[in-house]
Amino acid sequence: MRKCYFDHVATNPVHPDVLEAMIPYFKEEFGNPLSVYEYGARAKNAIESAREKVASLVNAKPAEIIFTSSGAEANNFALRGIALAKQNEGKHVLVSRMEHHSVLNSARFLEKSGFAVTYLPVDKKGFVDPETVKKSITKETTLISVIHASSEVGTIEPLKEIVNVAKEKNIVVHTDAVATTGNIPVDIRDLGVDLLSMAAHQFYGPKGAGALYIKQGLRIVPLIYGGIQESGRRAGTENVPAIVGMGKAAEIAEAEIQKRMDCLLPLRERIIDAMSGVDRVYLTGDRKNRLPGHASFCVEYIEGESMLLLLAAKGIFSASGSACSSKALKASPVLLSMGVPSSLAQGSIVFSLGSGNTSEDIDYLLNEFPAVIKRLREISPYAQGWGDREEGGQECTVKE
Amino acid sequence: MYSERVMDHFTNPRNVGDMEDADGVGIEGNPTCGDAMKIYIRVRDGKIVDAKFKTFGCGAAIAVSSMVTEMVKGKTLDEALAISKEAVAQELGGLPPQKMHCSNLGADALKKAIEDYRSKQAK
Amino acid sequence: MKFVENVKPDVITDIVYMMCPMHLLKLQEQIKELDQGQILEIMTDYDGALEDIPSWCEKTGNEFLGVEDSGDFYKFYIKKLAR
Repeated sequence: MRKCYFDHVATNPVHPDVLEAMIPYFKEEFGNPLSVYEYGARAKNAIESAREKVASLVNAKPAEIIFTSSGAEANNFALRGIALAKQNEGKHVLVSRMEHHSVLNSARFLEKSGFAVTYLPVDKKGFVDPETVKKSITKETTLISVIHASSEVGTIEPLKEIVNVAKEKNIVVHTDAVATTGNIPVDIRDLGVDLLSMAAHQFYGPKGAGALYIKQGLRIVPLIYGGIQESGRRAGTENVPAIVGMGKAAEIAEAEIQKRMDCLLPLRERIIDAMSGVDRVYLTGDRKNRLPGHASFCVEYIEGESMLLLLAAKGIFSASGSACSSKALKASPVLLSMGVPSSLAQGSIVFSLGSGNTSEDIDYLLNEFPAVIKRLREISPYAQGWGDREEGGQECTVKE
Repeated sequence: MYSERVMDHFTNPRNVGDMEDADGVGIEGNPTCGDAMKIYIRVRDGKIVDAKFKTFGCGAAIAVSSMVTEMVKGKTLDEALAISKEAVAQELGGLPPQKMHCSNLGADALKKAIEDYRSKQAK
Repeated sequence: MKFVENVKPDVITDIVYMMCPMHLLKLQEQIKELDQGQILEIMTDYDGALEDIPSWCEKTGNEFLGVEDSGDFYKFYIKKLAR
């Protein structure tokens, strides 16, 4: 049976050259970069070389790159590190409603610690309006965090305009660029952001390596205390193999980025065009300003997890924002913030393409997916319309 | 995540459909929450002779609906009322803990169908 | 402890919030770049520096000019004497 992996925003296979670059650092080059003898020196050189490559990918200086264990850690580090560093200037932070949990939960932690947080609303395409950002800024605002592109609906945010608004008031801007770095051009000088999070496994590097770009001169309180790794900003014996892998992946990404986009865009367009012909299937996010390999929909009258299971039985692997497909049984807050009604949000399905996906894979998907929808609609009590349902409002009162 | 029997009842659900002139209809759940079940029963001489369902929901929800409609066939109304969420889950070879509420939904939708039948009878 | 004000540094290094012992590592690194007689300012929030930096100066033969308390952090002034 054909196997089609369409969940690249969840994770990716490691590029073979990346794996090859990493292996020595598991075997004979196992040194600790802080050790004074040759093993240490070689390990240190390896991570510094990786740092240069990651910096080059985003047009930063090597000293501006701090390695972390993940994108989530980079996000936590940015939010807490800047808010705490600037708390004498003010205690107000703005985050968008499109953010990943690692940003939202960091913001909630700041709220519990005495900070004020404004969760910026978004429009129905998932865009944050720079005017809304402007209106939300107060004298107390010290940090704004807006995701570069949502992995749920693919929408690419107008970061440059948001940065311009922030710069008028000298406010620091962070962006979660985990879904974009290595997949579309990301240039910190062009964007103008002060901090940027990235994760290696989103561009065919290993899991366990991420990085935070911190503009030179910006003060930040460390998240992880300990020794002097990462210039005293992030302690812990470095995950040398993963960092080396991240560097190699960054090098390959920089060389191939246009090729990646050119390859994925037509595949994405085929899916979106074909699905626009299926009754009651709605594209989520913006039609044009979206990640090149991202096609996300809400399918009316059926539920996401059941779609995923039927597709998986056919060898097609994707994701959903429905409550039942989440471990926490809560529907995607991103979809709800975009104004998608709860019942429709349950029919969420996300296809995120990557390297390895071919035109034949898309043929297969477009052959199987409409049949899955038809089958589930046959089972659904709502196939003729929502008319039947209880007037439960938007409140979910499921009893355990 | 799901047992073989759950997957079987999900991919090959029994008794899917609407029932014209059903003797009792029960609806439980809410699409805003992600699960909603509609169970129809036909009753003759105090026994459920046929049952059908339509469900909006996840793998567990569809499997539960299929199992419940299988379990009630041939049972008296009181026997059917005694079917608990645990019994349904057990027949399915177990459900993951976070999906137990689906078997609750199934048992409750069935109860509502029986109540609906009884209230129609009372008129 | 020598408190000073209005010292004019030749080079400023900001390591506020960076963990110990960055205050000594950075100090070492930066002093190398200075010419004899030049003054280095190090900004740090680390309290341990109050003891460490004067001590380091004594050990290395550089002159500890003093510290300015800037509220959230300290500014240490070191004059390069040693070669």
